[in-house]
Amino acid sequence: MKMLSTIRHTGLFIVALLLVPDHAWALQPHGAPEGLYVHQMSHVLFTGALIYLYWHTRRTPELSNKGWHYLQLFCILFAGWNMLALVGHESARLLNPSDFIDKASWNEQVAGPITPIKMVYFITKMDHLLYVPALLALVIGLRSLSKDAQREADK
Amino acid sequence: MNALSLLPANIIDICGSGLAIFLSFMALRYSRILVKIEPNNFIWGFLFYFCVAMAAFSLSRGVGHIARILLVFSGYGAFWKQLSPYSGGFNTMLIISTAAVTIYYHKGLDAYKAIRSEAEKLSDANTRLFASATELKLLNTHLEEIVEERTRNLSKSEKKLRNFFENSKDIIYFCDELGYLSSVNSSGRRLLDIDESLEKVSFFDLFVNKDDRERYVGELKKNGFVRDLEIECKGRDGSIRNILFTSNTVYDENNNMVGCEGIGKDMTRLKTITDQLINREKMASVGEMAAGVAHEINTPLGIILGYTQLMMDDYEQGSEAYTNLEVMERQTKACRKIVADLLKFSRQAESVKTALDINALIEEVLAVTEHSLNIEQVEVIRHFSPELPQVTGDTEKLRQVIINLCNNAQYALAEKGGGQIIISTQENQDTVQITVMDTGTGIPDEIKNKIFDPFFTTKAVGKGTGLGLSVIYGIIQEHGGTITVESPVNDPKTGKEINGTAFHIRLPLSAAADSTTRENT
Repeated sequence: MKMLSTIRHTGLFIVALLLVPDHAWALQPHGAPEGLYVHQMSHVLFTGALIYLYWHTRRTPELSNKGWHYLQLFCILFAGWNMLALVGHESARLLNPSDFIDKASWNEQVAGPITPIKMVYFITKMDHLLYVPALLALVIGLRSLSKDAQREADK
Repeated sequence: MNALSLLPANIIDICGSGLAIFLSFMALRYSRILVKIEPNNFIWGFLFYFCVAMAAFSLSRGVGHIARILLVFSGYGAFWKQLSPYSGGFNTMLIISTAAVTIYYHKGLDAYKAIRSEAEKLSDANTRLFASATELKLLNTHLEEIVEERTRNLSKSEKKLRNFFENSKDIIYFCDELGYLSSVNSSGRRLLDIDESLEKVSFFDLFVNKDDRERYVGELKKNGFVRDLEIECKGRDGSIRNILFTSNTVYDENNNMVGCEGIGKDMTRLKTITDQLINREKMASVGEMAAGVAHEINTPLGIILGYTQLMMDDYEQGSEAYTNLEVMERQTKACRKIVADLLKFSRQAESVKTALDINALIEEVLAVTEHSLNIEQVEVIRHFSPELPQVTGDTEKLRQVIINLCNNAQYALAEKGGGQIIISTQENQDTVQITVMDTGTGIPDEIKNKIFDPFFTTKAVGKGTGLGLSVIYGIIQEHGGTITVESPVNDPKTGKEINGTAFHIRLPLSAAADSTTRENT
């Protein structure tokens, strides 16, 4: 009896819904800035991850040889690059097409007067000056670790 | 400043992107080497995946940057605009992936460390197990040999100790706290005449003096040992032996006394020899003194006797004075006899030695004394050896020896109202042995070592001077012989022990007889 009553009430509710239709909004719309926000947040996340990796390798006694010191340097440099990139993206967002001269050409320039935002944009545009040394530290660190491991394996 | 050229930034962008791609792949290569060296190492695995993400990111980003510059600066900006979201999205995705790999690395590292720790423990356990198994295998292989060798050594050691125990001429014994013997060697059984079950024999019951038991147990309890304790022991056969004991207390695990173990050395023979030596020295000293006294007294006695006899000529026989002088003469003669005996004992009396037949000498004595012996209910039995060789000696003195022995025997038998005197002679090695045995009351052990002392007598005052056996001793010593006493004695007929005394005299054969005997043999 109780089961029949439940089925009856559920059926009446479904019929009522079908008889009174309206806007559903089943999917959330994604606007244009969302991609940039996600990208910026990914930089923050990556920075946090690298700082954590640096902190963890520093406090782990087993990870204290030369190779790991280079890996720790990589973490610092690459976390710095992430912050630089984040600032660069923000500064680019704040500039207008009128702030550039001969855009889309090899003579492209930042138009004067040079404001701090423009200067920051200019500096952050050369982020590879941090990115490449960071990767170089990673390579040296891994090379050192691989040599140690090979020496250990040869014993 | 009017404008800033972005050309350096773009050049750095292109070159940096290329270098970044190159370096990221170099890093990937080294991480790959690490994984190849140790495929099971989690950290190398993490670094490899991190480098994969970094290489992908660098490649995506570098290619994107180069493409952007080339497309935009070549007039294909519209195309780049379509491509740009994909490149950016891809970059974002790779950054997040790399960050995710990094964030979760520590959990993996912990798990890896835990597994590695367990693996190391397992490896250690395996190593130990393998070493134990190898050792066990080795032990198992040699176990039989080891057991055999140890058994052999044990048997050898046991045999050595057993031989020492059984072959020792001293008593070796073990007994419990109550003194019951648990083990005793064959010498101990023989010396103490133990032939029954050991459980029934109390070690302390073998002690003659009860005080010795208290002394022995007291020292064991107090010191834990007994050293060189001389105790008089009585064997089951009744023989007395002087044993020198050295013993140790045996304790249980609670340090309670549970028995003793020790060694006993038979000192009886040594003690007898020592006593004999002491006695001989004593007799020699007494002899010297007696000789001195006798010499000093003999002359005045001679003068007294001479004057007494001269005075007797001045008085009539039967007068009171004459009777008194007779008493003086008799007593002076008695004194002279004592002096003469003392001189004989001290071997100061002159001797005339000839080769003589002992059997004939004894017969001469018995011819005089046997009658009076028979009156006293004493039967004389002769066991003379018919082929007895001659000895060299003073006939008178040896006759006195036999007379004195017969007198002593007669005195002993008179107390019992009669009995037998058995006189036997026999050749014994290089000596002639004369035995005079009576079935009288015997001599107690306490006085056995005193009977040859001058003036020692058990007779009533006036019945004897105590010089008879002393004179015999002196005469036999003068003849180079020995005299020993045995009491009680064995009955020659039944072989049983009876009361009585036997004197055994051994005299050396005369030189002529000795040579004759040797020629005959």
